[in-house]
Parts: sequence; C-alpha cells; structure tokens
Amino acid sequence: MRRGKGLIALTLAAASAVSLAACGSGSAGGTGTPAASGTPGAVETGCSSATTVTFWQQKFEDYQQAWYKKYVAQFNASQNCVNVVYQVVPGDTWTQKLQAAQAAGTQPDVVTTNYGNIKPGVAQGQFSALDDYLPASAFADIKSNVAPFVTQNGKHWGYPMLVEPSTVLYINTDLAKAAGLDPASPPKTWNDLIDWATKLTSGNVKGITIASVAADLGWSSWGLQYNSCGHFPITDDWSAGRATESCFADLVGLYKTLYQNKLMPQNPKTGYADATPYMNGEVAMMVDGSWALGAIKQTKPDLLPKTVAVPFPTKDGGTGETTATLGGWTLTLDAKSKHPKEAAAFISYLAAGDPNIMADFFKQAGYSKYTTRTSVDQAIATNDPSTKQDANMKTISEDIVAHGIAEPQYPWDISLAMGTAIEAGMKGTASVDAALKTANDSINSTIQKQQLKGTAPQS
Amino acid sequence: MTPEPMKGSDMKAPATEAATHRERQGSVTAKLGETAPPAREKRAGSREERRTAYLMLAPMMVLLAIFVIWPLIFAFRQSMYQGNFYKPPVFVGLDFYKYVLTDPGFYQSLKVGAYYAVIVVPGGMLIALLIASFIKTLGSRMASFMKTTVYLPTVVSAVIASVLFKIIYADQGLANWVLSLINVAPKNFLGSPTMVIPAVAVPGIWLGLGITTLIMLAGLLDIPDSYIESAQLDGAGFLKRTWYITLPLLRNVLLYLFVTGIVAAFQEFLLPLLIANGGPVNASTTPNLYIFNQFRAATPYAMTFSITASLLLFIVLGTVSALVFRLIRSEKAVDA
Repeated sequence: MRRGKGLIALTLAAASAVSLAACGSGSAGGTGTPAASGTPGAVETGCSSATTVTFWQQKFEDYQQAWYKKYVAQFNASQNCVNVVYQVVPGDTWTQKLQAAQAAGTQPDVVTTNYGNIKPGVAQGQFSALDDYLPASAFADIKSNVAPFVTQNGKHWGYPMLVEPSTVLYINTDLAKAAGLDPASPPKTWNDLIDWATKLTSGNVKGITIASVAADLGWSSWGLQYNSCGHFPITDDWSAGRATESCFADLVGLYKTLYQNKLMPQNPKTGYADATPYMNGEVAMMVDGSWALGAIKQTKPDLLPKTVAVPFPTKDGGTGETTATLGGWTLTLDAKSKHPKEAAAFISYLAAGDPNIMADFFKQAGYSKYTTRTSVDQAIATNDPSTKQDANMKTISEDIVAHGIAEPQYPWDISLAMGTAIEAGMKGTASVDAALKTANDSINSTIQKQQLKGTAPQS
Repeated sequence: MTPEPMKGSDMKAPATEAATHRERQGSVTAKLGETAPPAREKRAGSREERRTAYLMLAPMMVLLAIFVIWPLIFAFRQSMYQGNFYKPPVFVGLDFYKYVLTDPGFYQSLKVGAYYAVIVVPGGMLIALLIASFIKTLGSRMASFMKTTVYLPTVVSAVIASVLFKIIYADQGLANWVLSLINVAPKNFLGSPTMVIPAVAVPGIWLGLGITTLIMLAGLLDIPDSYIESAQLDGAGFLKRTWYITLPLLRNVLLYLFVTGIVAAFQEFLLPLLIANGGPVNASTTPNLYIFNQFRAATPYAMTFSITASLLLFIVLGTVSALVFRLIRSEKAVDA
C-alpha cells in the first residue's frame, strides 16, 4: 500500500491549472530595445539591455542537451539585444508543464515541437507563423519532402530541424551468419522476417525485438499500417474508421506470429525506442528508429561493424515502398510571445541560419538523424566527407527516408486504439477481428466526440 | 441504531464518572455562593467555547477552502468548457460527463483499480500484522533492528522499485530464474493480462509494508498486556488471542489502514505505468493512469476529459470510503 494524497494532488493539479488561468499573463520580456527590426531573422547589436526570450527543449539524448546549451550560449554571446533563457524539460512531464505555463501565461516563447503536433497546434491557435519574421530564403532551403510537415494554409508554423524514420530493421551480422543467413540479402517480405526470426532464436537470444505494448505500437507501427493498406485506419476526411479492413488484420497477424511463437522478448525490459536489448546481445534483430544507430555508435561502437541497417520488409516483398513515418522536431514560436521578433531571431540563428550549426548537430548525433535543409547537407559533405561512405547511413537515407511519409495528424486516441488492437491480437486477449472491431468502434467514437469529420488539415 | 445495553463492569465506569462530575460541579457551585450558575452565563460560556473552537478550526478551514474546495469548484466549472489557452473556451455543459461515463476504458480502469486494491490492501495488512506480532515478541534491540529493516522499503523511490521489478520480471529475470528451479518457468508476468496486476501488486505491498507495519505495531503495543496474559491463562492460543483480543482492539487502526489503503491503492499509477505501461491491453491501466494517458494528448478535448474523469473518480472514491465506513459501522469503532 502506498499512501499519499494522490486524489487531492490530482484535483489540485487540475484545478490549479484552471485557477492559474485567471491570474493573468506574466511577462518574460526584458527592457532592451527591439531587436531584429531590420532584416528578418537578424539580431541588432548595441542595445542598452537585453530582451529575455525563454526556450524550452524536450529532453533527449545527452549530446542534444550539450549541443543546445553550446549554441544558446553562442547566440547570447554574439549580441547584446536578446538573451535566451534555455530550459530542458523531461518528456514525461512536458505536457503538464507546458499546459500549466500556458494557463499561467508564462509559456515559453520558443519550444521544440514534433511534426505530429504542428497542425493540431495551428488549429488551436498555439503558434505564430514564421513567415513574417524569417527571410524567404530560410524557407526555400527546406527540402521539398519536409516542407509540407510544417506548412498549412501556405504558411510555415515551425522550422524543421531534423527527420528520423521511426522504423528501421537492424541485423546483427555475426548472429545471422552463425544461423546460416546472409546479411547481404536481408528479409524482403513479412514471411521472410518470420523465417529469419525463427532461425535466429536460440537459447536466451530472441530472433527480434519490436514494440509490444499499445503505447509504443500506436506510433511505431504507423509506417507498417501504411505499407499494409496504403492508408491509415481512418478515411482521408476523418469521417469514419477503416480499422476492420483485412489489410490491418495481416499486420496484426505478423505481430501475433512473432509474439506467440516466442521469437521476441515476452517481458521486454525496455520500450521500443531503447536499443539496449540489441546492444546487450539479447536479440539478433531489432526494429527501432534511426536514432538507435546513434546509440550504438556512442554506447557500443564495437557492435557497429557487425550491424546492418535495412528497410523493414514489406508485406509482399515490394521495394521502394513506405515502411516508416518520418518523425522529427521543429522550433515553434508561441502565439502569445511578447517578443516574437527576438524569439524568431533565435530560431533563425539556431535552425535556419549558418548551416554549420545544424551540421554540428548531426555530427554529434552520429548521423543517425537526417537533415531538413539542402545547405546543411552541403555543409556535412564539406566538413565530414567520410559520412558518404557510411553504408548504414546511406541505406537509411536512400531506402527509408526517401520513401517515408509524414506522421498522421489525427488525435493520438486513434493511434492508441490501433496500438491496443495490435497488442490485443498479438497477445491473444482477443481474436484479431474482434480486436480490430473494438479499435474501429473506438475510432468512430473519437471522431464523433471530438467532432473530427471534415477537419483533416490540408497543406 | 439502537445502543446496546451495557453490562457488568461497563456500567460501572460511566456511573462513577457521572458521580465524580456531579461532585465537582457541586463543590464549584458551593464556592460561588451555593447558587447554581444562571442559564445566561452558561449559554455565554458555551458561546465562548464555540468561538474558541471556531478560531482553532479556522486555519484548517481556510486552507481547505483555498486548496480543496475552491479548486474543486473551479475544476467543475472547467469540466463544462472545452478549449485551450489560446482561444476562448466553448461551453459544452455536461457533455464530457457523458463522454467519460460512456467510455468503456473508464469502467475498465475502475475494475483494474479495484482488483489492485483488493490484492494490495488486505495482503499488505495481513503481512504487516504478522510481522508486527513477531516484532512485539522480540527484545528491544532486535525489535529496533527489525523495525528499521521493515521500514527501509518505504524510503525506496517508487521509480527505482519499478525499474527493479521490471528487471526481475523479465524473461531472464530473477523471478523466472527462481521459478526455473522448480521447473515452472518461464512465466509471462507482464505480458499476461491475468498475471500483470498481481505482479505489480508485489512491489506495491513491499513499498507500503514499512509504514503499515509500524502503525500496526503501535496499535498492538497499545493493547494492555493483562488482556493477553488473562487469555493465555485461560488457555487461548495465538490464533484465538488474535481473533478475540487483538483484532477487535485493533479495529480503529485496521479501519484507518483499510480506508487510506483502499483510496491510495485505487489511485496508484506510477507502478503500473513504469512496470507495464498500463498493459497488456489496458490490463494494468488504473484510474489515475487512465486519466494521465488522456492528459498526455495536448488537445483541448483531452484536458477537459481528464478533469471530468478526475472529478468522477473523486466521487467514486468518496463513495467507496463512505461505504467502507458504513459497512464497518465506524462510528462505533471510533468511539470504542
């Protein structure tokens, strides 16, 4: 029994968020002369005092925090008109903390926002368009397949920093060879994958690790849902669920076979995004995002030569198909920022300015994340030509990212309903058809309650 | 409720007290001139007493109003509006109460919370009673050592405990290794809907055992030794002594532990979140975890839904607590 005053705390948390809303808005501003009044995105110098801009970054790998800290300090040192106050916020408290700040009117001027939250945020009036503050050249530099992720009604609502595919298959070549498999000819179909996982499962080493709980399945399976059906489990105009189509049952069947045949850990120690089981040799293959490559490079570099990254197999063995969605992060400007020009100047400096700054980010990431700007590609090619020879990076870039699609923009409840259906089917708590029927009912209920019909965002 | 007639020695004490009170009152009135105090003075005295009582209660009432009642009223108001902090909220009346009450996930989470509480509370209390009874029989030095040992898990962070037990329950974890010694491994502790709540309940009991045991021990030490010795002389064994003497006299302590335990267990969310992420298939999604999962979606809908679900959970827990008090006839227990 753990004693506490959880209910009171919960009620207080909920209610204080409301009561704080009544307290009026605070000011994060300074007393400096307005900066960036000339060229869009530029910062003036020679101010009597600096204007304070607050920036919240969701916590990621340690090298990311170090990179942000370094360049925030450089920005602050480069001029005396804008002072950026940088704060790292853990992911599990991000929503609560941000909403509490919004309620109190002390929300940060600039935050890291993922692609999936851009268009819902625009619909809620949460962001300011950057077009008024950044030069047109900054937007022209964004790659054409990434620009739609941050564009709505012809305006840019966030500046994209990186993309990372959420589904990549990693194979331990030593274990594959030991099992009589050729890593140079990786599995092409889902049946091939099951065959490989079966042959690679030996003793305490499982053939593969893949997401197995609804919260992870909800997002990590987006690319596979699209590969199986050519669409997500909701109609394009968000008017009805499509989860009961047989193509989704095929996908649940894949997960079910891997789980029921004990080809994957039954009680995984870590979540989908964590590469630890693969790095510890507990599994021979791993399905994870491209960031796992960075983790291997940093934590277990000796495993890198024995690791090959390939696209997740397609249902029928087709090549050049979508198997992954492209997640990633942007910098957004809050609609209630008291100093939008100064805040935008910081965004411009960090993400849209000198390409060497972002090039350094990708270097720190071990090139496990992918650029959103042409000029940054050129900077990397100039600064670090050896990256071109990295076979895994080339595969992810050319065979996965090139065919990746944007993450769905519909509410998380819909993704969670599908994740729950996959989990129920794979673990046998319901038949595959019954699980998908439940998901479809849940999706339709979400459409009705959240009045989603006809609200799908257009670029 | 009809009061039960008092018998034997039970009747003696109140009668004696009343006599003593009368004697004291008599001696005071004699000193004041052999006259009884006027009724008006008596009323004034009681008014003053009431004022003192209200004054003493005032700080708590003010704090309660600021931190509980006012936020509750605000939360109720907020539950009738859908909106965010960037656009004017839209009045939706009681729509969200309908949404929560028609969501199967809400009822499923209540069942999970009840299942978890049913395992953790009686299980923890039973183990704590056994340990406390054992500690009571020890010498002072050994009892101090045992009390410290039993209390240690209480200072362990629930996050650390969660990570620890997640590793213990892994395929090649300690639990499966132990079971393999008797050839019943491997067990799918966190992947099986029937095993996940008992699996999560184990660290739940472990973390709460220290404080429960100490409270239980304090209650046991309050029981006069003469009662136990008399029973022993009459030939009552441990079980009979526990059933006829210890448990009845621990009634208030047990009631307190039961009610606070049920409310706390119903609200557990950290252990199922970190150990099983609410799965498999929501089998460990407790009410607070359900609300937390809704809140994680940063949409106006999710925020109003979470607040509404929190208020409904408040009502559910209040009802459960009231039922427990009613069933155990707590007013008698408290006055005992």
